[in-house]
Amino acid sequence: MPEVRLPEQFRDLEQWIGWSLETEGERSDRRQASTMEDITAFYEAMLARMEEVLPYLEQFSLEELPDDAKRLFYLTLSLAEVAPAVEQFGQPSVVDGYDIKRFVASHR
Amino acid sequence: MSTTPDGNLANGNGAASGYKWHKKYPHLGTGPVPADVFTSHEQFELERERIFKKAWLNVGRVERIPNPGDYFVQDLAVCNTSVIVVRGKDGAVHAFHNMCSHRGNKIVWDKDGTCQNFTCKFHGWSYGLDGRLKFVPDEESFFDLKKETLGLTPVAVGVWEGFIFINVDPNPIETLQEYLGDLASGLEGYPFSAFSTTSTSWTSEVNANWKVIKDAFQEVYHIAFLHKRSIPDSFTSKDNPYAHSLDVTLYPRHGSMSLFGSADYKPSPVAKLAAQHGEIVIRSDFSMDGLPAGVNPLRSEAWALDLNVIFPAFFVDVSQGSYFTHQFMPISVDKTLWTSTQYYTKATTPGRRFSQEYGNVIFRDIIMEDGRTFEETQSMLSSGAKKEFYLHDEEILIRHSHHVIDQMLKGQPVDRALAATGKEAAAHA
Repeated sequence: MPEVRLPEQFRDLEQWIGWSLETEGERSDRRQASTMEDITAFYEAMLARMEEVLPYLEQFSLEELPDDAKRLFYLTLSLAEVAPAVEQFGQPSVVDGYDIKRFVASHR
Repeated sequence: MSTTPDGNLANGNGAASGYKWHKKYPHLGTGPVPADVFTSHEQFELERERIFKKAWLNVGRVERIPNPGDYFVQDLAVCNTSVIVVRGKDGAVHAFHNMCSHRGNKIVWDKDGTCQNFTCKFHGWSYGLDGRLKFVPDEESFFDLKKETLGLTPVAVGVWEGFIFINVDPNPIETLQEYLGDLASGLEGYPFSAFSTTSTSWTSEVNANWKVIKDAFQEVYHIAFLHKRSIPDSFTSKDNPYAHSLDVTLYPRHGSMSLFGSADYKPSPVAKLAAQHGEIVIRSDFSMDGLPAGVNPLRSEAWALDLNVIFPAFFVDVSQGSYFTHQFMPISVDKTLWTSTQYYTKATTPGRRFSQEYGNVIFRDIIMEDGRTFEETQSMLSSGAKKEFYLHDEEILIRHSHHVIDQMLKGQPVDRALAATGKEAAAHA
């Protein structure tokens, strides 16, 4: 049996666990390194569950998220990360954008 | 007073603009601006001596150094120095040139930290948080050392609404409050501290003149084109397709522009989710109660945010639930350290944090669109093919900024009467 990583009712999102990343830098790197096909599939899968995911997460305070809920929460942050790629640019990176690797985040 | 966009944007289709801002500030004229100010080494050296070594420069916020002994280092290539900014035992913020009195070594080599004393790595000279020289190893072998005169060299420092400014002029001709003037008083009361409990910040060393970057962020004419993908309908509408601004206020050196926000804005699916859990989305509901007079000065219901451009190179751009800053620190004539920071109230719930992350990503991606123009522009400026540039009426903050720089480089006094002139012109319009 593989380790259960997400809350039981969100097991269908387990296949996207690779997007459960803690920092903006990691999420941005994954977005930039992914194909639009992968990004869109992740985006659609998450979007379809967000009406349940957010109320579930809202049971907890940010500081006291259980580990499985925290992994789910990081998936929502990755949804925020990929949203412009799907909704605005139609490609992983900003169209005609500055090189994001040179735009260094000092936050996590 | 009209608070609808219609009243302010009667000529919003741009066919006959009415030259609204030129009429308000006619002294700036309508002529082109020279192109070589972005590439001239002579110009840059004059800017260094007459602007950056004389002006109050923002170096960050007080939240970065909450406790006595907390410090950070701001390297200021344009002022040929590095400055230590520290919270003293007295609770006040102090600043010093980051230089040992013994033989000039740079004392602090890291970016920030907490300490009781600053100790030089070279020979162990040690200074208190107040800059006093406290300890010299093997002091007896020096000749006539007067330790009380050998403290760290202070740098003038001032704090306004939690923003820390320094001035490397040993005798600044104005206090920070005088320097910020009416722009500052109009913003006082905005909840800067409450909105600064968390922040996201990015930095990049850009191969462009500082004014190329500054100018890109102080006009709205580009929005309908450069940002047509990221924010196609946030700042433009059927009636205002070129994002004409709601209001412009010029000060002797600084300038503000109040930006139109469109009721036509159609949130994307993820923007809608974010809007359910936070306020970091353009055009969410907002209240004008309690906003200081300098924020959304027209009290327009079609308001998005205000640009506040503090001379020479610091922006405090405020909206209803958060604010962001841009800081441009010149390194050389064609190299600038660009820092953009978005400030928020610290999230305590996952939904709020998700909403902020969406706002964070959107903001970052929008300024990535801006960022691309900086080096593309600079690379062509160096060709010298164009001698001058033509400014749109909505580019009046650029016109003003170049005017102020020109005055300062010529050693002329700034236009003290400027704000009054503008008000007068507006009253007669």
